[in-house]
Amino acid sequence: MSKLGQVVESIGNYNKFVLDQVKRARTDEKFGRELLGRWNDTKAKIPFSRTPTGLPLPRLALPEIDEPGEIARYLFAEGLPGEFPFLNGAYREMYLEPVREIESFEKNGEPAPRPARPPLPQAEEPTRLFSGLMLAEDTNERFHYLTQHQRTHRLSTAFDGPTLYGIDSDADGVFGKIGEGGVAIDTVEDMVRLYDGFDLGSPNFSASMTISGPAPIIMAMYIAAAKRRFGPKVVSKLRGTIQADIFKEVQAQNETIFPIEASLRFLTDMVEFTTREMPRWYPISISGYHIGEAGSTPVQQAAYTLSNGFAYAEMFAARGIPVDQFGPRLSFFLDCGLDVEYIALSRVSRRIWAIGMRDVFEAGPRAQLFKLHTQTSGRSLIAAEFKNNLTRTAAELMLAYMNATNSSHSNSADEPFTTPSEEWIRLAAHGQAILLEESGIFKHTMNMLSGSPGMKAVERSVEAAILDEFREIERLGGVLAAVEDRYQRSQIQNAAHRYEQQIYNGTRPIIGLNRYRDGAEAEEIPEVKLARTPRKKQQLQVDRLAKFKKKNAEKAKRALDKLAIVAERGENCFPMLLEAAEVCSLGQISGRLQEVVGRFRPMV
Amino acid sequence: MASSIRILTAVPICDGHDSAINTINLEFIRHGIEVIYLGYHRSVGDIVRAATQEDVRAIGISSYNGGHIEFFAEVVGHLRKRGANDIKVFGGGGGTITHEDAAAMKRKGVDNIFFAGTSLAEMTDYVRRHYGRPRVKRSRPKSPDQELAHKLTAIEDGYARGKRVTSNVQPVTLKKKARNSSKTRVIGFTGPGGAGKTTLIDELVLRFLNQNPEGRIAILSHDPSVIGEGALLGDRATMINSQNDRVFMRSMATRGQAGGLSPATHDCLTLLARSGFDYVIIETVGTGQEAMPFQKNGIVNQTVLVMNPDYGSRLQLQKIVMLDLADIVVVNKSDLQRARTAHTEIEQRLEQNRRNQQLIDTVAKRHRDPGVDQLFGLISRSEL
Repeated sequence: MSKLGQVVESIGNYNKFVLDQVKRARTDEKFGRELLGRWNDTKAKIPFSRTPTGLPLPRLALPEIDEPGEIARYLFAEGLPGEFPFLNGAYREMYLEPVREIESFEKNGEPAPRPARPPLPQAEEPTRLFSGLMLAEDTNERFHYLTQHQRTHRLSTAFDGPTLYGIDSDADGVFGKIGEGGVAIDTVEDMVRLYDGFDLGSPNFSASMTISGPAPIIMAMYIAAAKRRFGPKVVSKLRGTIQADIFKEVQAQNETIFPIEASLRFLTDMVEFTTREMPRWYPISISGYHIGEAGSTPVQQAAYTLSNGFAYAEMFAARGIPVDQFGPRLSFFLDCGLDVEYIALSRVSRRIWAIGMRDVFEAGPRAQLFKLHTQTSGRSLIAAEFKNNLTRTAAELMLAYMNATNSSHSNSADEPFTTPSEEWIRLAAHGQAILLEESGIFKHTMNMLSGSPGMKAVERSVEAAILDEFREIERLGGVLAAVEDRYQRSQIQNAAHRYEQQIYNGTRPIIGLNRYRDGAEAEEIPEVKLARTPRKKQQLQVDRLAKFKKKNAEKAKRALDKLAIVAERGENCFPMLLEAAEVCSLGQISGRLQEVVGRFRPMV
Repeated sequence: MASSIRILTAVPICDGHDSAINTINLEFIRHGIEVIYLGYHRSVGDIVRAATQEDVRAIGISSYNGGHIEFFAEVVGHLRKRGANDIKVFGGGGGTITHEDAAAMKRKGVDNIFFAGTSLAEMTDYVRRHYGRPRVKRSRPKSPDQELAHKLTAIEDGYARGKRVTSNVQPVTLKKKARNSSKTRVIGFTGPGGAGKTTLIDELVLRFLNQNPEGRIAILSHDPSVIGEGALLGDRATMINSQNDRVFMRSMATRGQAGGLSPATHDCLTLLARSGFDYVIIETVGTGQEAMPFQKNGIVNQTVLVMNPDYGSRLQLQKIVMLDLADIVVVNKSDLQRARTAHTEIEQRLEQNRRNQQLIDTVAKRHRDPGVDQLFGLISRSEL
């Protein structure tokens, strides 16, 4: 049985354990009293604060129970926010505004003067907006625009087609694709331009890079760029994420460039390096977003993401990396659509991950955490009457925050047509701020929406369905075997086809598209200029790449030869990638590696 | 019955968005269209080469990652340069292709762009209406490959119009020996679905191309037609080395004939064998003799049976007639646990046959697999 089978068992065992604790609380008097005492103690310590309209609310909401069995059930099955098994949140406090003490009001309604109290340290804003367009300097400008009002600078980088496939901008036939859909990055010089003006080593800065196939090479370029600006000491301070998730590429996004095993090997090389040298960096974002976007059901998205995650954990452990070293460095990425499963999908995933990691991989508390970034669903955005997408995205953000996501991206309404323009991206950013800062829904009380009967019903159903999927994958021989068998891929394609049929036959209403469709409105497209890369810029990128290659020709050849030898020998390639990134282009490195390990054979 | 409409679909280079085209392909197939699917991240060169070799009626491109005006224009331009003006181009990209873009693309020779919200029925209707009428007069082929492609189409159309197959199962001794080009070797690959034939052939092609800088290979591959419907001819999609100017590939649907071959296969194969290639590879699905009827003294010089180690019990091997006929038996996926047993059971069977058959273990998906090297050596060294 692979580890995935053990995970399924461990969830079953844990649920049984919970029932045992409930029984114990009701039969063992001492235990019952302890629990009750602990519960009352916790309740008593909950601070209160006032809403802007003067209503006092607890910072943490708990169910109104006083029976030891029910208390046991709550504490063990769900856990307080920040406590195993983390159903209600990875951390104790999230999204809450700084404590505003209960103010006593004078007789005339004026607040009485209070001595000043130091504010509690504030968590980072969850907002991390995904962007990338044209050339490095253009994206850099967009980055500064997006973060101008943010306290912490949290960037998320989209790369263009050639970069995603490890191809240089001067490659045959890709000219029209330079800078389309994301930023064109060919060299360390581009990387330096991309993050110009940001303090890469600061605790208030972090960069997420959405790239998977060539991720180790891009990671090496980022490190090289950081060293160029800040010297070698900055490396251990770097904060951010690189997506790097190969399994979901093969299952859904189709951006793998080396054969699966070679890709996994390069990934593990990178993880080995970063978990040791870059303790604040997440070298992988185990993703379900692309799986969902390719058309999977929400349960499939969660099940494949989690099982991929457990497969990675098994792989990294097999390489000899201690679980408490890599565990805290794993991050996750899910999408959020409008299906009702999303009310509980991430919460349930967080719980399953924690139990599996603790009981099968023996992970400590920090390595049990499911750290989640959520993006609202791109597939849910519709071209017809596109302004409705503002509402869709807002609803999806609500669902994401109800699941206590650690980080969020909201799509722009114009995205069915283009990489978002400034006008619509501004509204997307405001959507998050309106929900988290303007509205009172999330900033006063933790557990605001947890525990409703409906939410619990969805939780139970979703958890059971995810475990069923685990069993099926296990039956096929585990994640890698299932991947090579096209299992996840074909399931996703079937679900996608069914989804389209449902839209076509109207059983899945899409407002403005197959229901309440208004002829004229449906055809409207955003007025603002679509983000397209001018030919001049594309040519500029090609020209400066040529200069770079010419300048570094000798050194590049030597570096590539050394890299090839390391790759042939099966040693960890990452240190050599760091050297090569100084003088070689992305395409030169990926091309050379493909000569050694082969190219990815597409699955259809 | 009118010949099925053959079209080619693909997703452009640096674009992996295949969700839409997968659904569209299925719809087309359900309505009788034969779809040669090239997959995602495909260059202009690969698309145009495939379209001309397969002599399709039209190319459908699904593009969601931008750069579509240039890309579609390049496809049209390349087709025209090759004299393939009667291969049309259409496509879509959800909302990423605007009406303005589409107008520009049409000016550059694209037939039609489908916008976001177009129904699958509309697309299918369009293809059947615009690309279903028989081609009246074709422009003269500008190259030998194009001429070959046109002739293969004529053969297929002939059988579709009602020409009857004389006999596909040749008796072992023939009065007249079919004539291949002096040095063309015809190799037949057969075996159960999922054994890895396509990957294996692609890996052999890689070795051939590397070792013979001037050499050319032809591949004739078969995929089953769905009863009453079209077919998904998807072998090209997973082949990387065979997308090459020195490889001529033609995909055929079985069009209602049982046994893994098309009614037109024999004539097409005969034509290919006379067209100056170093090797012609015919690939079919099956394990019985009907899957590879053109054996010794026929057109096929050598047959390779590719086996999956997961065939079941030794008893199942009894049913596989090709085990007695194939010159070479390959146990692919030999990294699987079952492969050791499979090798032993098959070896015993071959020894009983006493026909000097070869048995080779391969892991075709592995880069530079020594088993595939061995197989390649065997095929290229064999006497005619």
